[in-house]
Amino acid sequence: MLKEPINEAVPSQEADLSDEKVCAVSAWMFDRAGRGVERSQWLIKERPVTLYLNDREVVTLLCAGHHLDELAAGFFFAEGFVETSADVEGLEVNEAEGKVNLRIRSDASLTERLWQKRTVTSGCGKGSLFYYSLDALLSRPVKSTLRVSTRQVLDRVEDLNRLSQTYRRTHGVHNSAAAESDRIVLFRDDIGRHNAVDMIVGHFFLHDLSLEDKLLITTGRLTSEILIKAAKMRIPFLVSRNTATDLAVELARSLNITLIGYARAGKFTVYSGEERIIQNR
Amino acid sequence: MSLYLDNAATTYPKPPSVYRAVRHALEEVGATPGRAAHRKAREALGMVAAARVQVAGILGIGDCDRVVFTKNATESINVVLKGWLRHRDRVVISGMEHNSVVRPLRRLSSLGVVFETIRCRPGGQIDLDDFRKRLDPSPRLVVLVHASNVNGALQPLQEAAGMCSKRGVPLLLDAAQTAGIQPISATDWDLGMLACSGHKALLGPPGVGILYVRPDLDVLPLMEGGTGSRSEDVLQPEFCPDRYESGTPNLPGIAGLSAGIEFILERGMDRIRAHELGLGSMLENELSGMQGVKVLRPEIRGTGAVSFTIDGLNPGDAGAILDEGFDIAVRTGLHCAPLAHQTLGTFPEGTVRVSPGYATTVEDIEYFLRALRALLSRR
Repeated sequence: MLKEPINEAVPSQEADLSDEKVCAVSAWMFDRAGRGVERSQWLIKERPVTLYLNDREVVTLLCAGHHLDELAAGFFFAEGFVETSADVEGLEVNEAEGKVNLRIRSDASLTERLWQKRTVTSGCGKGSLFYYSLDALLSRPVKSTLRVSTRQVLDRVEDLNRLSQTYRRTHGVHNSAAAESDRIVLFRDDIGRHNAVDMIVGHFFLHDLSLEDKLLITTGRLTSEILIKAAKMRIPFLVSRNTATDLAVELARSLNITLIGYARAGKFTVYSGEERIIQNR
Repeated sequence: MSLYLDNAATTYPKPPSVYRAVRHALEEVGATPGRAAHRKAREALGMVAAARVQVAGILGIGDCDRVVFTKNATESINVVLKGWLRHRDRVVISGMEHNSVVRPLRRLSSLGVVFETIRCRPGGQIDLDDFRKRLDPSPRLVVLVHASNVNGALQPLQEAAGMCSKRGVPLLLDAAQTAGIQPISATDWDLGMLACSGHKALLGPPGVGILYVRPDLDVLPLMEGGTGSRSEDVLQPEFCPDRYESGTPNLPGIAGLSAGIEFILERGMDRIRAHELGLGSMLENELSGMQGVKVLRPEIRGTGAVSFTIDGLNPGDAGAILDEGFDIAVRTGLHCAPLAHQTLGTFPEGTVRVSPGYATTVEDIEYFLRALRALLSRR
């Protein structure tokens, strides 16, 4: 089931230039003067993939069509359908038909009953920041002694950009990475920012590895959904070159996650958990 | 399995006889009590009079004409606070009071009424030494909730009532949670006033409250209007219960309440109390042993209501999970008693409250505990 060890999960130049994720199409390019020229254009692939849990259809995701095992495992783990890799009986990937079936031996009935059920607040007592009760159940404040310097934050974002060859060719993907303070340990990209993160989560889940001492770096906006996903994985650092939403910041403060946005051009903004940042002199 | 554990809000299900009585009053009797001389009106009046006798009996009220039917306990409390207190009057309340007491007093404070709070012990019971000090000088009124709607904490009512009686201070007892489950002797305890609802432990339908005012206390009515008595007089009657009962009475509600009390008397209040307190203790003991769960234990338990918190999980989320995930109805948050939660240290999020009733079984509580363990296993 496990295709690659963690230390080989960062793409090489050759691997990323394969046609696994991209394809070329012919297109006409026009300029202001009205001149048109036909060119071959790189595009990211888009595929519907339906995820099944013990043969029951759960959701269809639109994705770039690669690392489907990780995508499915990450989705089911992050959404609370499966708790440990020991509960996994099998993972069947049918790339041609766009189907992935995760077989688990544990009982997922509680998650199935709660999944995407909106919490109805009574107005009697301070309400929850969560809008899904299942998220509230699975998220806890993150305890971590991890400290990262300002230079390391910027260097890891630079690393993410450097690894993003598909983005440079297509401008059609979001990138995500799990990083230690001094290196990126896993890189994934996809047309959906959630998918890219789910692949990271799925990879760690399938290898029975923890994300609790890692930074999660993404090119996507820092919304509540990504923040909650990080909280469920107990990830202490969430970094993006993009901006955050107010709810994500509120959740980050409540869940003790260091939330960093606008990490680009040698600067970044810390919305929450700044005590984990070591200032370089 | 659908499980209702919110009996502190209102009892569900009611005894079948309650539903039948409500239906009978609406379908078979129909008339307005005391407003006409025809047989149906007389029958209706007889039903209300009989209910008054039953209520007087179960609350230890010596004169059944002192039993007043209101809309709910909140209205009964409002009648007392707004009909008894005047500018610059001082009121002493416990730190466990419901918003039905605190909110009217907040409004009255803008009119010059001042109120102060008796210190409570960690489980919510009033500190009698602190209470004694606050009775000197004598306040105009003392308000005590008999048992907390948050954690079931029972107040040392007879001691407190004795202290009030000795100093001639009227005591308003909020018996919303205890009427029907705890022995109450309004006359013997020399209570100044008593307020309670009819739809909780008295097992009646919503829409009927009860008020008792001691004959020597001149509490002004909240409303004036038609009473079916002395209609030639433009002034409101001075006698009870008409002084406080303007407008058409809730005959179906009162009939249902009557049936509820009958059920209690047949089954036995002592037996019902032992059953509910037993379930409350079972809950308390089992919950106390669960990691990450903190139970708000009362010094003395007066009802089956048990409140608890779960580390890091908002009570509203816990309630939603119990509802959607296990089909269990509990009440979460502040229970309309923010003052009590401040006293117990659970403000502003509140707690999860589980309140068994007469119809709750040991198997029900075991199902709830299994559900909660399943919930906690995902934390």
